[in-house]
Amino acid sequence: MSTSVPFRVHIAASVIIAAALPFLVPSTVLATEILIFGMAVIGCNLLLGYTGLLSFGQALFFGAGAYIASLTAIHWEIGLIPVLLLTILAGAILAAIVGYLAIRRQGIYFVMLTLAFGQLGYYIAFLAEEITGGEDGLLDVPRPPLELPLLPDMTFANDASFYGLTAVIFVLCFLMMQRLVDSPLGSVLKAIRQNEKRAEAIGYQVRLYKIAVFAFSGAITALAGGLYAMMLNFAPLSNIDIETSEQILFMAVLGGLGSLYGSVIGAGVFLVASDFFSELWPRWMLLLGLFLVVVMMFAPGGLWHGLVVGFERLRGRHKTSTEENDHG
Amino acid sequence: MRVRGSFLMSLYLFQTLNGLGLGLIYFLMGLGLTIIFGMMNFVNFAHGVFYAAGAFICYQFIAWTGMFWVGLFAGPIVVGLLALILERFLIRRLYASDHAVQILVTIGLMLILRESILLIWGTVPKNVSPPEILSGVLLIGDFAYPKYRLFIIGVTIVASLGVWLLLERTRFGMTVRAGSENPIMVSMLGVNTSKLFAATFALGVTLAGLAGGLMAPIRGASAFMGAEALGIAFVVVVIGGMGSFVGALAGGLIVGLVQSFTSGFWPEGTNVMIYSVMALIIMLRPNGLFGRS
Repeated sequence: MSTSVPFRVHIAASVIIAAALPFLVPSTVLATEILIFGMAVIGCNLLLGYTGLLSFGQALFFGAGAYIASLTAIHWEIGLIPVLLLTILAGAILAAIVGYLAIRRQGIYFVMLTLAFGQLGYYIAFLAEEITGGEDGLLDVPRPPLELPLLPDMTFANDASFYGLTAVIFVLCFLMMQRLVDSPLGSVLKAIRQNEKRAEAIGYQVRLYKIAVFAFSGAITALAGGLYAMMLNFAPLSNIDIETSEQILFMAVLGGLGSLYGSVIGAGVFLVASDFFSELWPRWMLLLGLFLVVVMMFAPGGLWHGLVVGFERLRGRHKTSTEENDHG
Repeated sequence: MRVRGSFLMSLYLFQTLNGLGLGLIYFLMGLGLTIIFGMMNFVNFAHGVFYAAGAFICYQFIAWTGMFWVGLFAGPIVVGLLALILERFLIRRLYASDHAVQILVTIGLMLILRESILLIWGTVPKNVSPPEILSGVLLIGDFAYPKYRLFIIGVTIVASLGVWLLLERTRFGMTVRAGSENPIMVSMLGVNTSKLFAATFALGVTLAGLAGGLMAPIRGASAFMGAEALGIAFVVVVIGGMGSFVGALAGGLIVGLVQSFTSGFWPEGTNVMIYSVMALIIMLRPNGLFGRS
């Protein structure tokens, strides 16, 4: 479905999202958070929506990214780009290792293993107080300056400039990931999701592809975690706990799997709703749970799929939507 | 030298008993998860919150009646009844669904139940004290051991034996085992699978409620205790192999003993140790100790 969309449309769409978002939501900080979590949800979507791997350990990559970015930014004065590149690299390596171990088992065991590795990471972070700050988290995380040749150094001290930075990174990541899922590699991933045995029989090294998609997922999720720590100036332990994994997964399902736009919508709707309801009622997660049950029982395609179907109905060509109905 | 030797002996005995008690509780958790999965191919991510609910209902009945025994019985029974209701209106619609759908719906259920617990009992964890007769320690020679922990070992052994007899020696157990091998064949042979499934789900959840009620006097009752227990239950079945009674027992005891012995020399590191042991076992035996491939 998305392969038929020209790449320049994706360029325009992602730039419009990044440019319009601050005007659509109550605060710049919330807009920044949406783009950051949008990237983490894209990481989750690559695994679940495109490859059919339900990872319950995404917080491990998110939290690890937050710690790596914070530690390198605190201890080494190497500027923004090296910090983010190190974060991406660390996330990719960590995710490749976790993926390598977890895909030894399939189905439900795979899910349990990703959860267990996530928990292992959480307890290690909790224990390694001297490095991660343990329960208190890492305080005073700086936002390193961007040093580009021929240009003055850029700092991102205020919310608006940090949003600008996040928006540029978001657009670049979004387009790269869109390229990835539209590439031949992306087609192999979809083949694995639809029928793993057949993909194997055709001659694809399914295991290598799965490890590769874990690495991509870990890279973008860690990058999101690193940016989140810079946004908060703080890397809390909760970044790496099971609840963060759940929330990322929840946003992915809410928006709809198998579309990167769905991921951004999922992150946006979730964060705006939680911003709104958590002010009103401390037990608002109860509504979230009800909502999750209702969405999964009655609209398992998520919000994006609902939008697509609704739009096509409006244009009177809803018959074609059955072709796309292959993720479920 | 002799004194030191006997001190070490009693320390090891103490930790072995602790590990046995914890391990049997984890076994109950893992067993509940595994019979539900084995029978209905259903993944229950709300299993941990039923454990927490068991602890709170136990607390509540003790608060009402002043009797520990009433609480200990009421916890699993009320949680089991709740499971029957949920099975009737929600869970049974999901047996044919994808695992991903089951997981996400039960996460939603977990959030609903956890937040309801927080609404009813507040955010401060509740303390539950064991009854008079079980408080204090039992002295055998120089060896002292908390009575309540011995009681846990006794109750879990009785409960496990009961479940084992139920599964292995009764008609109900026979159909459950047959159903976990081949549910379609069982329904073709004229067994009412919809009742069988409901009973199995309730039984599995009741075991989680019992585990929570038994743990309440040791760890208290907290709405967030379910997440840790769920993680442990997963480790138990991953180690032992899903769908296996013996596997759940072995997995539970391994986790319990590892936890108790690690706490002797590295108390903060017990959870890291548990998950590392699991990773190691998975590397050596990808299907778990007793799992079918």
